[in-house]
Amino acid sequence: MSTFRNLVKPYMLWMGIFIVIPMLLIIFYAFTSEGNSVITVKFTLDNFIKFFDSVYIKVLIKSLQIAFVTTIICIIVGYPISYVIANTSSKVQTLLMLLITIPMWINTLVKTYAWISVLSDNGIINSLLVKLGLAPISMMYTDFAVILGMVYNFLPFMILEIYTALAKMDKGLIDASSDLGANKVQTFQKVIFPLSLSGVISGITLVFLPSVSTFVIPKLLGGGQYMLIGNLIENQFITVGEWNFGSAISLIMAMIILISMYFTRKFDQDKVENGNKKEVKHA
Amino acid sequence: MKKIIKLGAVLLLAVTMFGCSGDTKEQLKVYSWGVYIDPEIITEFENEYDVKVIYDTFESNEQMYTKLMGGEKYDVLVPSDYMIERLIAEDQLQEVDLTKIENFAGLMEGVTDLSYDPGNKYSVPYFWGTVGLLYNTTAVDQAVVEQQGWNLLANTDYKGKVFIYDSERDVFMIALKALGYSMNTVDQAEIDEAAAWLTNVDDTMEPVYVTDDVIDAMIAENKDIAVMYSGDAAYIMTENEDMNFFMPEEGTNLWVDAMVIPKESTNVELAHAWINYMLDEEVAATNSSYVGYTSPVQAVYDEMSGVGGEYEGNVAYIPRLGYELDETFHNNEDIRKVIADLWTRIKSN
Amino acid sequence: MRKSKWQKIMPVLLIALALFFFYLPIILTMFFSFNSSRSLSSWSGFSLQWYQSLFNDRAIISAVTTTVSIAVISTLIATVVGTIAAIGISHTKPLIKELILSVNNLPILNPDIVTAIGLMLLFTTLQIPKGFTTMLLAHIAFCIPFVILSVLPKLRRLDPNIAEAAMDLGATPWQALVKVIVPQILPGIISGALIAFTMSFDDFVISYFVTGNGVKNISILVYTMSKRINPTINALSTIMIIMVTVVLIVINIIPLFKKKERTVLE
Repeated sequence: MSTFRNLVKPYMLWMGIFIVIPMLLIIFYAFTSEGNSVITVKFTLDNFIKFFDSVYIKVLIKSLQIAFVTTIICIIVGYPISYVIANTSSKVQTLLMLLITIPMWINTLVKTYAWISVLSDNGIINSLLVKLGLAPISMMYTDFAVILGMVYNFLPFMILEIYTALAKMDKGLIDASSDLGANKVQTFQKVIFPLSLSGVISGITLVFLPSVSTFVIPKLLGGGQYMLIGNLIENQFITVGEWNFGSAISLIMAMIILISMYFTRKFDQDKVENGNKKEVKHA
Repeated sequence: MKKIIKLGAVLLLAVTMFGCSGDTKEQLKVYSWGVYIDPEIITEFENEYDVKVIYDTFESNEQMYTKLMGGEKYDVLVPSDYMIERLIAEDQLQEVDLTKIENFAGLMEGVTDLSYDPGNKYSVPYFWGTVGLLYNTTAVDQAVVEQQGWNLLANTDYKGKVFIYDSERDVFMIALKALGYSMNTVDQAEIDEAAAWLTNVDDTMEPVYVTDDVIDAMIAENKDIAVMYSGDAAYIMTENEDMNFFMPEEGTNLWVDAMVIPKESTNVELAHAWINYMLDEEVAATNSSYVGYTSPVQAVYDEMSGVGGEYEGNVAYIPRLGYELDETFHNNEDIRKVIADLWTRIKSN
Repeated sequence: MRKSKWQKIMPVLLIALALFFFYLPIILTMFFSFNSSRSLSSWSGFSLQWYQSLFNDRAIISAVTTTVSIAVISTLIATVVGTIAAIGISHTKPLIKELILSVNNLPILNPDIVTAIGLMLLFTTLQIPKGFTTMLLAHIAFCIPFVILSVLPKLRRLDPNIAEAAMDLGATPWQALVKVIVPQILPGIISGALIAFTMSFDDFVISYFVTGNGVKNISILVYTMSKRINPTINALSTIMIIMVTVVLIVINIIPLFKKKERTVLE
């Protein structure tokens, strides 16, 4: 209906200004060098070459490592929790999921700040340890604190995704499996886990990719020496003032994430297709 | 459906009006350091001049500069000496009309007419001080501190017990001084040596790089040694008697933070009123007492550091004047970039 | 097969531990907001002083006002614009539709720091003074895609003929839009609006980069104030936590009541 089609045109204009142009600006800054006016633009790959220095590659690798560890922990901790919740009665499920999702809606800064006073050297945990006569542990400004903060922030998302996948599952399949002689472990391995995999993958998308680019949690809990990619970008723009280099890093990171998302989508689609094929075969 | 639209419109209107209220009074935009003023002073100024003050804070001169270059408009800035030098060189400031700043006469001698702004054409001092080592006397021997000076930060006996301020200039100043060089050196070899010194500290000492969060952390004795600005040290020492402050013999940075008026300020009259207000004896006394930094106003300095004063005998409140190895920063764009880049690399490691 | 004691206890233990983990910092934050001393780790007595200082702190009140007004305004605008755009998108040809959706999804797929940098560069280049306006524009910009993504699935399930039928019967396109299409996609619009509101309210990174001239939202405020021990932030946090909890509980309980009504009527 052409009349309705026109409704999208104003938004296309908006997108052009607020989505396309910003990206073009980042690309522009990334490929030019400092101190250029519109007339004397100098195109260069220097900003990218600068990034491929071992120091900055280390930052990228560390970001990927932290994101990876966070995601793995979220899966290992989140899956059992989702599984248990999915197997409770419907009323309890609603209650538990409500309790799990409330922290999701609380402001990230507020949540992370709350952890500072818990983990601090003179914070609550250490005060307790001292009272019990034990030695205090220095937890702030460590990998532990950062990963803890990240897991705390992202775990509800993982639980939500896995739970949704588990809850949607056709219980009939589980019954069928045990009718055909499989024990609980086999049923889990061959029926439940594969079918819940899409939930795990959605969870990974919601946890891994934002973790790579986060800078608030590392900054608050990790201190100035915690340089992840997000911190590096912020540092280049706000403190150092190297907008060109900062844009190049932003572009690299955006590319990494967009490509990862593309592959996760493909993987998910393939899984669904293959999964359907398998079902047809067995049936 | 119509009800929803009506409700939405009313809400929109109410919220927009609410959000835009307070636009009627004249406004003064001040951009200064965090925790650098007694909030009551802002309120008192607003009441006395019937204006609204928008007070925004930054964590470093570099951050302030970036925001300024990004197009933000302020009426009063409070940068440090070398940044003022840079802003003057880049023609970003207006001249200050000293005839409107009567309280200028009350300033201490050592703090005016310095090399970053001869004749104080563009700036009026706000607070000043030095950079030194704050240490816990129960954990670190005073003799050790005095003997090792800046190299204490590399002393592996205190591994894991050190806070270092996350500021590229200050850390390079420390490294250069520890190696016996001038903090304003343009010699690449010396700078590289300083970078190596810092890398060594980063590798062997497990230092924690902090900004203002170091203040409460040291009051709570979370670590034993910290690089500290004199004013923060003075404050901490009033809150925790075990803490002491030392300015190393290798020399340190004598700095001044001063008030300037950006070229694009439209509220020049009010800006001058603010600057003058900050130097008023009572206001400056309240301010210095609250923040802990040394006031440039002679009468206030005498009162605070003198007999019965709040900071009597407080080593951190009294800046070391006339010590030849103490230097003020000079701005050098190229070196600044080099140092900024090096510091990012050291932190990324 | 009877479950062993372990098998019964383990799940309960797991859930208990999970809830403990999630709520420990939250409860402690709320607890110490009532502390009579400035400590966040040792209790010295009950006091409402931090709530008092909260309501007296101009900077905090200003930040809250900014956050709420930006969230409300950007949600309203984003919902309207997003819904209209979504309707338009659902009627475009597949190729163009793919293109539009790819661009539309960029703010969602991109890490928020990249979106933030892009918008900051935009405002600097266009020399728009940074502050409330830029924050608002930025929020609208990242909220609209969420609304669209929320409304589109509902539009897909719509019977394409009903709107046409309405117009055949004499309704103007506008009437067909408002009286036929919108009511059917209302759940999508509402959930889109809720997501937009939350994204705006909770935003830190984008606001941090595009704001200026002293304009702060709650997230930025907490970020700058977190450097010093400040139980006033705990007080603010407590209020926010309670509000979120109440809203979520209400949202989840209302359907239950509606169900009860229906069963009673039946």
